[in-house]
Amino acid sequence: MTVRTRLARVVALGAALALALPLTACGDGDPAAGQDEIHILVYGDATNKVEKQLVDTFNKTSKVKAVLDTIPGADYQTKLQTIINTRQAPDVFFNWGGGSITPFVKADLLLPLDDMIAKDPGLKENFLPSVFNTAMVDGKAYGVPMRGTQPVLLFHNKKVLADAGITAPKTWDDLLAAVKTLKGRGITPIALGGGDQWPTQMWYQYLYDRVAGPELFAKALGGDKSAWESPESRRALELLRQLTDAGAFGTNFDSVKFTDGGSPTLLSSGKAGFELMGSWNYSTHHDANPSFAADGLGWSAFPSVPGGKGDPRNVVGNTNNFYSVLKKTRHPEAVAEFLKLQYSDEFVQAQLSIGNLPTTTNTEKFLDGATNPDYLKYQFTLVKEAPSFQLSWDQAYPPAATTTIHQAVQQYCNGRLDAAGFIKAMQSLQAG
Amino acid sequence: MSTSTLAAPTVTEQRRARRSPGGGPTLGRPGFAWALPATLFFGLFALAPLVLVVVLSFTSWAGLGSPEFVGLDNWQRLARDPVMINSLWLSVLLTALGVLVQTPLSLLIGVWAAGTQRNRAVLSAIFFLPLLLSATAVSVLWRALLDPNFGVPGQAPWLFGDGNLFGSRTGAIAVLVFVGSWQFIPFHALIYQGAARAVPAVLYQAAEVDGAGRWGQFRHVTLPQLRNAMITSVVLMVVGGLTTFDTVLILTQGGPGTDTTITAYYMYEQAFRSFDFGAGAAIALLLVVVATVISLIVVRVSGYDRMRSTMEGL
Repeated sequence: MTVRTRLARVVALGAALALALPLTACGDGDPAAGQDEIHILVYGDATNKVEKQLVDTFNKTSKVKAVLDTIPGADYQTKLQTIINTRQAPDVFFNWGGGSITPFVKADLLLPLDDMIAKDPGLKENFLPSVFNTAMVDGKAYGVPMRGTQPVLLFHNKKVLADAGITAPKTWDDLLAAVKTLKGRGITPIALGGGDQWPTQMWYQYLYDRVAGPELFAKALGGDKSAWESPESRRALELLRQLTDAGAFGTNFDSVKFTDGGSPTLLSSGKAGFELMGSWNYSTHHDANPSFAADGLGWSAFPSVPGGKGDPRNVVGNTNNFYSVLKKTRHPEAVAEFLKLQYSDEFVQAQLSIGNLPTTTNTEKFLDGATNPDYLKYQFTLVKEAPSFQLSWDQAYPPAATTTIHQAVQQYCNGRLDAAGFIKAMQSLQAG
Repeated sequence: MSTSTLAAPTVTEQRRARRSPGGGPTLGRPGFAWALPATLFFGLFALAPLVLVVVLSFTSWAGLGSPEFVGLDNWQRLARDPVMINSLWLSVLLTALGVLVQTPLSLLIGVWAAGTQRNRAVLSAIFFLPLLLSATAVSVLWRALLDPNFGVPGQAPWLFGDGNLFGSRTGAIAVLVFVGSWQFIPFHALIYQGAARAVPAVLYQAAEVDGAGRWGQFRHVTLPQLRNAMITSVVLMVVGGLTTFDTVLILTQGGPGTDTTITAYYMYEQAFRSFDFGAGAAIALLLVVVATVISLIVVRVSGYDRMRSTMEGL
């Protein structure tokens, strides 16, 4: 290493510390110590229970021991980005597939899993294809699904809909009619946590997919910026405008958040009829109001749109989380053994027991024993039969694009941007 | 070892003081050794990072690999970036609004709390409570209280309309100014309280003899006596206002859109959300320059640099 690059690194590290010091107080030990260890880095939350259990199972038989490291929620991506190219880097780490690993692949840090899959085809075949594909970059597999899938569904309050005499909408016109009816009854038709921005994004994801199919976004993500100004893109924006003009979200949706319980309470208290949300919405309601989750909460697929090219069976959302492997791991064989556990029966049962829905092919046979089999079966069938599972836009693009996407979807939805402004903002994104 | 170096100046100082010719003892200045720990600390945690940030602002770095030197690229991009320019105006606007709202209120509360009225101690203790809470807790609290459906606005539509406080530019700025004031008025009131207590009672007695009423005493005795406290408080407000970060992060995340993306938040967004550390460093540097210039102006205009005693002739 030349003196210059070393200097550059020292400078960079120092500056990063200078920027990071006031923001995060992170203090981990030195995980790179053991020779016969592999370090598994995961997002710290309630699911760690399962990850811990699998690590214990692995360690019972393996000579190379696995060590589970966790980083609490919100700081995960930032911390990962700062350590991944240092000696503190883990061997295996949690990610969201898609854009969350593309920068690492481009920096040549990740190990393609194709050789492991050639030795054990089960590492690919035992997972639902629409999910597994999310962690493919440039045709190579870089991740193995390791938690539950989280498709976005159109939730509703059964009582509110019954009182208004409407059913879950199958088409766009059904939805517009329902909006009109609910508004007439003085109810906010659709709860929207616009303050979080990503719930707004869900409407775009579905509308673009229904209008144009998954190809339009794939094209845009691949760097073809003309996709955003295509007639389909304008049509999707027009449909969304129809919805906002009809007063579907009320007027104060940008002050409402999902994360602080605002929009879920609107739905459960009957002040709103619908909410488009990820499948975790069930457990959110289950925690806050178990009787509503059991009896009052209904769900359906996103409606079809007139003349849309996209298959109405397509879903969008978070396909799953993935384990990716660093190229410089000293124990690729042990890692391969560890990854095999991610389609074991033990894994599926442990995930189901805490309410996650795994995406392995053997999941189906355990669904009857789960606590809420109807809900899980509905989702599993939806994901299994979906011709395409579009990863959330902010995760399909690299993390650098998130802020721009979030601001654009918020500003078009609340009227600060017109269609041309939205298109221009999306065209400013760097390809994923 | 350290004891002897530390002790040495004291001895010299005493000797010097004793030897000084004529009148009373002149004040000896402590030697450099006294300033060493603080200087080291300042150099390590303030100056060195600042230098590194300067270097980083000329590079492109996403946290992976080595930073790439890109010359003035980041700076040129920022100069053309409407969000950047807007963020500077927003920072200044929020700071100015903060000073305008907080100064009169904390002045009045501080002067009132310096008195000897009944229940004063109890009420003061309640007033000062926000000071004990962390900015994060305060922000989370107000975010919940201002929820349009289940918070205060939902109960008082005659005042808040549809309660879309966080969804409009004016609303979001008003919330930030309000929460900032709620949190920091107690602190500035404390400064004024201390200063008001230090006003010699003879001045009020003299004013009373001259026929000044309560307002006259406040206008002609209290206010002039609080001049230095006011300068201190305003300088703190300006510096604090320009570097506000946590309230924005939790209350508005710079939104709606980019309507409350102030410079400090924009720096965080570029560096730690978009992983563009080069641009983040450039913004940080710009913020340092702007804050320094504004502080210098305040110091100059207010006469802080040649602060006169308010006790002359007493």
